[in-house]
Amino acid sequence: MYYASIIVDYLKTYMKTRMTYRADFWIEVVSDLAYQVMNLFFVLVVFQHTNLLAGWTREEIIFIYGYFMIPYGIFSCFFDLWDFADRYVIKGEMDRVLTRPVHNLVQLVLENADPPALFGSLTGFLIMVYAGWQLGLEPRWYDWLVLLVLVIGSAMIYGGIYIALTSVAFYSDSKTGIVPMMYNIQNYGRYPVDIYNKTIRFLLTWVIPFAFVGVYPAAYFLDKEITRIFALLTPLVGAIVLMLGVLIWNIGVKRYRGAGS
Amino acid sequence: MGGIGKTMLAVDVRNLRKEFKVQKSREGLLGAFKDLFRREYQRIVAVDNITLQIPQGEICGYIGENGAGKSTTIKMLSGILVPTSGEIRVGGYIPYKEREKFVRNIGVVFGQRSQLWWDIAVIESFRLLRKIYRVPEPDFRKRMDELVERLRLQELLHRPVRKLSLGQRMRCELAAALLHNPSIVFLDEPTIGLDVMVKAEIRQFLQDINRQYGTTIMLTTHDLQDIEALCSRVVILDEGKIIYDGSLERLKQEWGKGKEILFRFSAPCPVAVLKETTAGIDVHWQAEHDWEAKATLAPTETDVSGLIAAVASRAQIADIQVLETNTDEIVREIYQSGAEAAVAMEETVEATVRV
Repeated sequence: MYYASIIVDYLKTYMKTRMTYRADFWIEVVSDLAYQVMNLFFVLVVFQHTNLLAGWTREEIIFIYGYFMIPYGIFSCFFDLWDFADRYVIKGEMDRVLTRPVHNLVQLVLENADPPALFGSLTGFLIMVYAGWQLGLEPRWYDWLVLLVLVIGSAMIYGGIYIALTSVAFYSDSKTGIVPMMYNIQNYGRYPVDIYNKTIRFLLTWVIPFAFVGVYPAAYFLDKEITRIFALLTPLVGAIVLMLGVLIWNIGVKRYRGAGS
Repeated sequence: MGGIGKTMLAVDVRNLRKEFKVQKSREGLLGAFKDLFRREYQRIVAVDNITLQIPQGEICGYIGENGAGKSTTIKMLSGILVPTSGEIRVGGYIPYKEREKFVRNIGVVFGQRSQLWWDIAVIESFRLLRKIYRVPEPDFRKRMDELVERLRLQELLHRPVRKLSLGQRMRCELAAALLHNPSIVFLDEPTIGLDVMVKAEIRQFLQDINRQYGTTIMLTTHDLQDIEALCSRVVILDEGKIIYDGSLERLKQEWGKGKEILFRFSAPCPVAVLKETTAGIDVHWQAEHDWEAKATLAPTETDVSGLIAAVASRAQIADIQVLETNTDEIVREIYQSGAEAAVAMEETVEATVRV
């Protein structure tokens, strides 16, 4: 309850901050929307040129891509702490965060939340609906609930992996190249895993489970029997990855050294 | 307020130690290349086994040169850093272990860093902090009224923080740190960079808060006037060790050279006469010529009026000037002789323990 009201208040503060720079705010809203529309057309156009890929049709691939955009939008909104090492560890802003009675990670997530990124999720959803309609899918009533659960699971995987990566800043002074590398790896999750070789498939399933943010859960709706069981594993994998991420984070915070004098 | 009533100690620290591992960079390109494979680390002791007890309601000044370990101590006390070893209890909690519960009871101001949200009006920051610290609305309003009046915030409340001057911002920072009426407040250089007026205001405010609510205050500063105005107790840190812990008065007595009194005479008065007339007082005379003489009282000697009376009975005084070694000088001297002082301090501590 307490945390729920804190979240609301932080988001209100965010809105106020944004709106103090009025012109900026509207420019950002418009440019975000424009970006998403472009994204939509880009996906549709690019996939016009692919037909069958390891047994997946073009519409199925578009569908997976659409699904992937939903948790990705949630991730960009909440867990994208890209300047954490610089701002909070090297410049010492973490001091302030640690002297407040809300879990430090929650504060960080809220301080850096970027709600417009959720437009991306909306775009993804529209792409999914479009591709589903093209495929002639007939969603049962509970499929919407399943979608919600799977999306939450996928977002937790994203969150867990990035929280763990961000906490590297506590262990090493220097900026690392791990985060950009992960940005590349996550892209592999949005295409059917069976187009990759075994090693990569194993890696994406069990080590850095990015396959669970795209292809596995999306395949649930496509009635692909092979991956159905994997799809239903998504929330479980999500919970485990998030827990691990937070655990690594909490250990990292103990090593925080503060900045300067 | 968990556990405070029982202990009565706001801060209870024993053998507290903090070490940092710092990478040693080797020189030159070859050195950098070697560093790639095998790094050498250096252990730096920032806080070296300090023991410190602060009872509730005390204002304690924490001073030392840059890099002496003041901020590191404050950061351990406020739960930001985890100590390397030693025991630490603040307000009944172990700060780094029960952080979220613990910090509800403390207030923190870092002079160099803002606690407020940069882009929104000050009052909005306060409202968000109210939520974070779970202060009930009526309490918040009452507290706000009081803080606004005492720190003269009325004009500032609706301005964004980034448009405030340093002095204005500092007043807001203090209000933000005290919104939830914490029982212990840590201030890390609260008066840094402020003008004389604002400094005086802030000192007055801290004193009022301390008197009215019995708030324990621990502050680090480089401005010894802060200490003179506020602190009943001074702790001096040097290279991570406590080299002095006691009242400001005692510090002056032990380290000061005593009062110096400069006499100027309207008729010549030889120093021999002065020595003779003040024979009963522990005083040292110095004179360049017969028109002027300087009396240095021993630190333990307090009979200034006796001295003046004795001199006045034999000489015609044109002017008197009383000079006291100021705290700045004392502290500078202590810093300079830091290591020896630490030894001396340990001896006195042992002596007191034995007594």
